[in-house]
Amino acid sequence: MKIQSSFLSEEERKIIHADSIRILEEIGVKFPSEQVLTMLAAGGAKVDFDRQIAYISEAMVKKAVASAPKSFILGARNSEFDFKMPSLFSGYNLDGCGVNVLDFRTGMRRPARISDVADAARIFEEMDLGFVHWSPVSPSDMLSESVGMMITATSFMNTSKHVQDEVQEQAEVPYIMAMIKAIMGEQKTYRDRCVYSATYCTVAPLCHDEAMLSANIALSHYGVPILIYPMSASGTTGPASLYSNIAMANAESLSALVAFQLASPGAPIILGAALGVVNVRSGIFLEGTPETTLQIGAMGEMARYYGMPNTTAGCLTDAKQPGMQSVLEKTLTTLPLVLSGADIIQGIGLIESSTTLCYEHIVIDNEIAHLCKRIKDGIDVDQAKDYFSDIKEVGQGGHFLKQKNTRKAFRSEEFYQSTLCDRNSYDEWEQLGRPDLIQNSRAKIENILSGEKKNPMPNDMEKLMREIMSEAEQKLAE
Amino acid sequence: MQDLVKDAFIDKMRMAVLEGEEDEAVTMAKKAIDEGMDLVTVMNEGFLAGIREAGELYAAGDYYLPELVCSADAMKAALAVLDPEMRKLPGGVKSSGKIILATVKGDIHDIGKTIVGAMMTASGYEVIDLGADVDNSVVIQSVIAQEPLILGLSALLTTTMNEQKHIIDSLIENGFRSKVKVIVGGAPASHEWARKIGADGYSDNAMDAVRLVNGLLGRTD
Repeated sequence: MKIQSSFLSEEERKIIHADSIRILEEIGVKFPSEQVLTMLAAGGAKVDFDRQIAYISEAMVKKAVASAPKSFILGARNSEFDFKMPSLFSGYNLDGCGVNVLDFRTGMRRPARISDVADAARIFEEMDLGFVHWSPVSPSDMLSESVGMMITATSFMNTSKHVQDEVQEQAEVPYIMAMIKAIMGEQKTYRDRCVYSATYCTVAPLCHDEAMLSANIALSHYGVPILIYPMSASGTTGPASLYSNIAMANAESLSALVAFQLASPGAPIILGAALGVVNVRSGIFLEGTPETTLQIGAMGEMARYYGMPNTTAGCLTDAKQPGMQSVLEKTLTTLPLVLSGADIIQGIGLIESSTTLCYEHIVIDNEIAHLCKRIKDGIDVDQAKDYFSDIKEVGQGGHFLKQKNTRKAFRSEEFYQSTLCDRNSYDEWEQLGRPDLIQNSRAKIENILSGEKKNPMPNDMEKLMREIMSEAEQKLAE
Repeated sequence: MQDLVKDAFIDKMRMAVLEGEEDEAVTMAKKAIDEGMDLVTVMNEGFLAGIREAGELYAAGDYYLPELVCSADAMKAALAVLDPEMRKLPGGVKSSGKIILATVKGDIHDIGKTIVGAMMTASGYEVIDLGADVDNSVVIQSVIAQEPLILGLSALLTTTMNEQKHIIDSLIENGFRSKVKVIVGGAPASHEWARKIGADGYSDNAMDAVRLVNGLLGRTD
């Protein structure tokens, strides 16, 4: 059977839901937008326009949950990489919004450049469990109003997988739609399959950002999937118990869900979460902790409770460089999520609490993903795997190497063959120059970056993208 | 036999070994004798070509252990049929050399030594596998009787590894030490252990064991 673990019991899910409803009804959520508040009021919310607070009822939440699609496809320019939500296995998402890069050549941390966005996309293209590309860094070598559009276009031009990004302003929406149309052609709606989705972060505690909210509502009109991503940290921007922080973050998610479904009924929504804890001395946001896993795992459970597709942060670390701490923390923040059935885990490639891109970790994290998947897939106790006849044939003593089943099995998914972890004998390992996980990942990256770009964007499509970039650069600066 | 038919025959022999089809290898070897084929050609271009190819595929990572072991056993099975006939030939057909392998007395761990045997066979050596838990006297008698170029001794336990030393000491006592190179392997063994007990070499994996043997015999890989 496939291993299925749970972070919350059925009863606990009901309790958290009830707590979230109580927060929405009694405390309310701030929507700093007259337009959205009016829409919420028309949808049945009690609204305090002076304080910009909307009090959302359980009935509104139930209606929004019912109206949101339970299944859709995160499409890709190369349809081989289409990712159906919900998924039977956990796919991975490059995490976004880092600011630094651990330079692949020098090993030193430096501000990110637009070339890093392209390189990361090229490496990600060849990671077989990676399906959603959110540019892992915001470059500081092109600070302009159009930087967001440059990042999105650069991502599209360097990966044929699904692209996700943050949209800061409504003015960016036409350019994003132009890029989507350049790839997919003109369509009435992109609701069932779209090559782009947007990440929408709520602002803890219990707030929304006006510009982001209006931009994402505009995108939702076209059927672009929106990932709702609360990020409260227990003890600072959230209450200091995991339980209540989850309940509050879930309330933030539900408030966004209600707003999007009122604005665009039937808009595809992904419920996500990147809840954290903090360093109790400095207040620094921490990700690679057991408490992080528990919170985001529970949020994934809540998404499944509502029957919604989910993306959770995961594969996280607070380490400053690839090494023992990063691999330890990333494994600890991945395996439990995989075992619980997360659709997408978002975090690969970044270190230092998701602020620094590390090329090596894109590759290492894909390996962690494989190892976790193998455990999730469990033991196949099926008649086809009953090798009693082999046991009988070999009998006492001897070996099973000559059994036809062995030949077949060694090439099956039952025995995952790692290409990154060292599986050699000591002498072989020494002869190879004592390679470790990091060195092996570096060799793969060298290979990818020095080779030809995989699945390059067709020339005419790339020309269109460059035209869109150029226009965005001019118009958004005005 | 016409050339084309002969070539197809020989290719079947190569494939029988390459694909590890033991029964097919035996059938083809018997046919070669019945048809009065040139056994030197049969060996070199048929069976040996197949086992060499299997070894290359294994070294390249394309073959896994089960494929290699099946190829090696198909090779051995064909050899068992051809050997008596080849001995009758003037000059015979020489293998790369004879290797005796054994897991020492008190130690029942068989698989590592079996894998080494498969790799040696795939590299063209004639392997005599004495099995596991082999009494020291049986090892010594076999060396005296078979005159191998190499004696490979496996021990998986710290409690049995001393037998590797005892066998080397016995070879010295019997005046046979200089006539055979002794290599040791197994989890508790090491390069240092090999030096300490007067062995000629140590390897911790089957592929390296072939390189070790080639080196000891002054051959290139």
